[in-house]
Amino acid sequence: MTTRNLYHSKPAQWAVYGLFFVSIALIPAFVSDGFLLNQFAVYGIYGMLALSISLCWGFGGILNLGQGIAFGLAAYGMAMTMQMQSQDPESNPIPPFMLNNSLEHLPWFWQPFWSTGGGILLALIVPTLFYVVFGTLMFRARVSGPFFAIMSLAMLSAFATLILDMQPYTNGANGISPPSPLSVFGTDIDPYSPTAYWIVCGLLIVTTVGAKLLTQSKFGLVVQALRGDPERVRFLGYNVALYETCIYAISGFIAALAGCLWVMLIQYVSPAQLDTTFSIGMVIWAGIGGRLSLLGAILGAFLIQGGQSYLGDQFLATWLLMLGAFFIVVVRFLPKGLAGLLEKVLGALARQPGKHARPDLPHAISGAPAAGE
Amino acid sequence: MDLTRRKLLKQSSLAAAAIAAPHLWLPTAREAWGATLKKGEPIKVGLLFSLTGQLAVPEEDSTLVMQYAIDEINKNGGIAGHPIQPVIVDAKSDFNVYSEKAKELIIREKVIALFGCYTSASRKAILPVVMSQNSLLYYPTCYEGAECTQNTICTGPLANQHSKDLIPYMVKNFGKKVFFVGSNYVWPKESNKNAKIWLQEAGGELLGEEYIPLGSSEFGPVLGKIRDAKPNFIFSTVVGASDIAFHKQFKQEGFKVDSMPIASLTTGEIETKAMGADFGAGHFLSAPYFQSLENPTNQKFVENFLKSKYGKNGSTHYNMEETYLSAYVFKAGLEAAIKKTGNVEEVTSRMIRDVSGGVRVEDDVSPEGLIWIDGDNFNSWLKPKIGQCQADGSFKIVSEAKEHVAPDPYSIYPNAGKCTATGLVAPDGKSRKNVI
Amino acid sequence: MTSLDIAPFANALVLGLSIASIWLIAAIGLTIIYGTVGVINMAHGEFIMLGAYTSYALQSSFGLPFLLCLPASFAVVALVGLVIERGLIRYLYNRPLDTLLATWGVSLVLMQGVRLIFGSDPKYIAVPEIFQSNVEVGFASLSVFRLVVLAITALIVAGTAYLFYRTRFGMQVRAVMQNKEMAASFGINADRVYMTTFALGAGLAGVAGSLFGVLAIVLPTMGTAYVVQAFLVVVVGGGTLMGSVAAAGLTGELQSVFAFITNDTFARFLLYVLIVVFLRFRPRGLFAVAKGRR
Repeated sequence: MTTRNLYHSKPAQWAVYGLFFVSIALIPAFVSDGFLLNQFAVYGIYGMLALSISLCWGFGGILNLGQGIAFGLAAYGMAMTMQMQSQDPESNPIPPFMLNNSLEHLPWFWQPFWSTGGGILLALIVPTLFYVVFGTLMFRARVSGPFFAIMSLAMLSAFATLILDMQPYTNGANGISPPSPLSVFGTDIDPYSPTAYWIVCGLLIVTTVGAKLLTQSKFGLVVQALRGDPERVRFLGYNVALYETCIYAISGFIAALAGCLWVMLIQYVSPAQLDTTFSIGMVIWAGIGGRLSLLGAILGAFLIQGGQSYLGDQFLATWLLMLGAFFIVVVRFLPKGLAGLLEKVLGALARQPGKHARPDLPHAISGAPAAGE
Repeated sequence: MDLTRRKLLKQSSLAAAAIAAPHLWLPTAREAWGATLKKGEPIKVGLLFSLTGQLAVPEEDSTLVMQYAIDEINKNGGIAGHPIQPVIVDAKSDFNVYSEKAKELIIREKVIALFGCYTSASRKAILPVVMSQNSLLYYPTCYEGAECTQNTICTGPLANQHSKDLIPYMVKNFGKKVFFVGSNYVWPKESNKNAKIWLQEAGGELLGEEYIPLGSSEFGPVLGKIRDAKPNFIFSTVVGASDIAFHKQFKQEGFKVDSMPIASLTTGEIETKAMGADFGAGHFLSAPYFQSLENPTNQKFVENFLKSKYGKNGSTHYNMEETYLSAYVFKAGLEAAIKKTGNVEEVTSRMIRDVSGGVRVEDDVSPEGLIWIDGDNFNSWLKPKIGQCQADGSFKIVSEAKEHVAPDPYSIYPNAGKCTATGLVAPDGKSRKNVI
Repeated sequence: MTSLDIAPFANALVLGLSIASIWLIAAIGLTIIYGTVGVINMAHGEFIMLGAYTSYALQSSFGLPFLLCLPASFAVVALVGLVIERGLIRYLYNRPLDTLLATWGVSLVLMQGVRLIFGSDPKYIAVPEIFQSNVEVGFASLSVFRLVVLAITALIVAGTAYLFYRTRFGMQVRAVMQNKEMAASFGINADRVYMTTFALGAGLAGVAGSLFGVLAIVLPTMGTAYVVQAFLVVVVGGGTLMGSVAAAGLTGELQSVFAFITNDTFARFLLYVLIVVFLRFRPRGLFAVAKGRR
């Protein structure tokens, strides 16, 4: 075979992913501190968010600064479900904050959340549906690139303002704090237990595998093609808007899943989950880790959020300064993120003379990226 | 290729399951969650405030004044001979970080109590973990009430402890017609609900009620409406940066403070300094504490605090003083708990909370004068005061309550019931814990 | 209050002009940078903030009168913009979406840097006494300072238009905007044009910041409130000067009218929705830059 950059070899990639999955699944075997498990599970959620951004931006070329819409709406859905779990239809039918806002009856759109299954389903479907509609509107009109990014940011702000303003129905700025943990099939899921950790871990693995398979499929190929040059893909006969909407909606679904898990772990949601800084943060994680690599994006999230938790208090005054400087350096010198750095290093190693190169093949071919990176 | 991948995944997941299986069915071995104190070792408390970001302006001062209070307590022998050791974190004005840090402080650092938060939203973000771990939160800011938890102690005024005096005072001195302006979130809206009731009792008339988006500094439209309505005074629950913009634009648009002053629950010494005394002078504030209070304890407090390394921001305003008080409420509560059990190692966070009902901070320690903790809802009994901002930015006390006012978190929700030490007791007799 | 009396409504329209001028002056620096250089400058809010702090620092250290602080802020922030462009942005022109990440990093550094130097507490900028009153003309009442902002905005727009449409430099800028390679082949130093326009945009943001520091507040975090609004103006306008003027005018007036009819919060929400709908039907904005394929 030609000189292959190990980075691009599919078996090598799957091996690394497999290793990653095994290591995160094994963590509870070594860690029994509930606080740490909960914290790691939260990192898992951040990883899922970075994954969704990587799918949408890295592979689809759609810079989405408003991923918080899916995350936040799903989080609210889950919080509503969990809140209703603690209410009783006869003795205690209305959440306390609604009583304080002089609501006599449960509003119509809260009613479906009496059912746990229905509530979770709604929490996942409504944001995805919104993404489908919004995506269709935008992509059919060929809004893309920075315009789309700003639009998603504006939409995010609009939702945050709406939720804040609908105080009687959403408790406004104070958010919804379900008093007890999520209960499924009769058992409580303690946010500090290995069970909660494994639910997050399992879903992270499933979504990552799914996303990876997606990018390696024909659908994924078309999406990557339109990232590079949508006009050309359009001329080839593909319905570009359809593909863009699909990848956007899929990334939204993953973010919605993350939102539901979030509330399961933290038992709280507020308009802060729809903060622009948080949504932009997700893009930063994917950018630093390497938006073209799903695993890279996930690890980017771990790195930055872990850094913030553990270094943020060591360097009380200068943490954000260092973070900003770090971003600048990475973007300036490592456009494909840290994963790109790995790619370069592996590429350089593979090109060492006399090792694997076939001397009769032109040098240019040897670095070609394989399909489905 | 496919076979390898599938096989790999299957094998790895089986392996993971095998190793992890015991943990699935073994009872979750949780070590003692509860924080405990050890004889001879420092008492760990957590300071959960924002030192950076949008909320840094009120909250950094809270951390500084807590450090000052802790130094002071330690210099005087600590609590039962044990020094207090603060664990300081930066919540970065980010509610996710508040939640994470609260967990870290309570579960990992095992602090016996937490001092934190300013906005209600951040408090709500950390309450689930405070309640589930049965820990103790000292919340030192004015808020809207409507909560009955068994794990918090609050040293800031509730609505019936500041607007109840302010509204009638303003009606008496300036006139019946008032316009409400607030930031658009829970606390101003709840405060206004309360204020409407006091207004009606005082015989006043509400001309309009407007809410500005949080963080907005555009007051043109609202001031236009105020100009048309021509109230006698304005009742403001605008907070933060918006508050400063509001006062500035008020004067710039030609409104005269003598004929239409702004009465607020938040515009204190820091805000006045930031907007410039010429924009702040003449307006009114209702708070239990002002830097200019003329009692010996306060004078000593202000002098020593500003001289210390923590006093760099140059003023002591009500939120800081309420935080300072919470340190002494903690001291008194812990001392009572140690006396009750006789053994410092048996004291838990919840125990401190339970014995804190009735705990007092006397005149010689409290810069605002005697306060004590209510034995039912664990908020503070205090004396509201009304101050008017002077030309130099300080406040002159124009009115002071003669008696301490009882805190009533459900003052406008009589149907919700009464908050007691063990739960919220509804009119039908049923009691519910942890109502937030 | 939903009465549509003429006098208060007319006042709302006049106020709308003022709000429009605030939107516009916040956005004009960004317009120039985005329109010419194509950079999404997430640090724009921090340039505004730097302008405010420059005025504060000059005033508190040297006692410089406010009106002189304005050009001084322009110069200082333009210099900062220059440094950033040469040190970082220059390398990212072919990666437009990456400039977003990089400038986000810059905004963090600037915000925290200012916080470390000046502290988190709000600062006060003094202005002459005359700016602390208002002007009443029949039904309309506007504060003098708002009129000053309006005047300065008009001046800046006129100056910028003159620069771009009547000077040689402006011609070079427009050439580079349309097609960088072609312009370079005609001997225009595209690099220098980019550098100068970036610095110009930054400087204008600085002036806006000085004004906002008086109108509102001086805090390390003050810039964030203006960024999304500024971006919306640029996007709705399409990236040209005329587009931004039209967009700011429209949104300012609409905000004032909506706020007059309903309330501030709902007005803002409605505005966002309208902008989204508008962009759906006219994604290139009101007056887009006519450019060839890059």
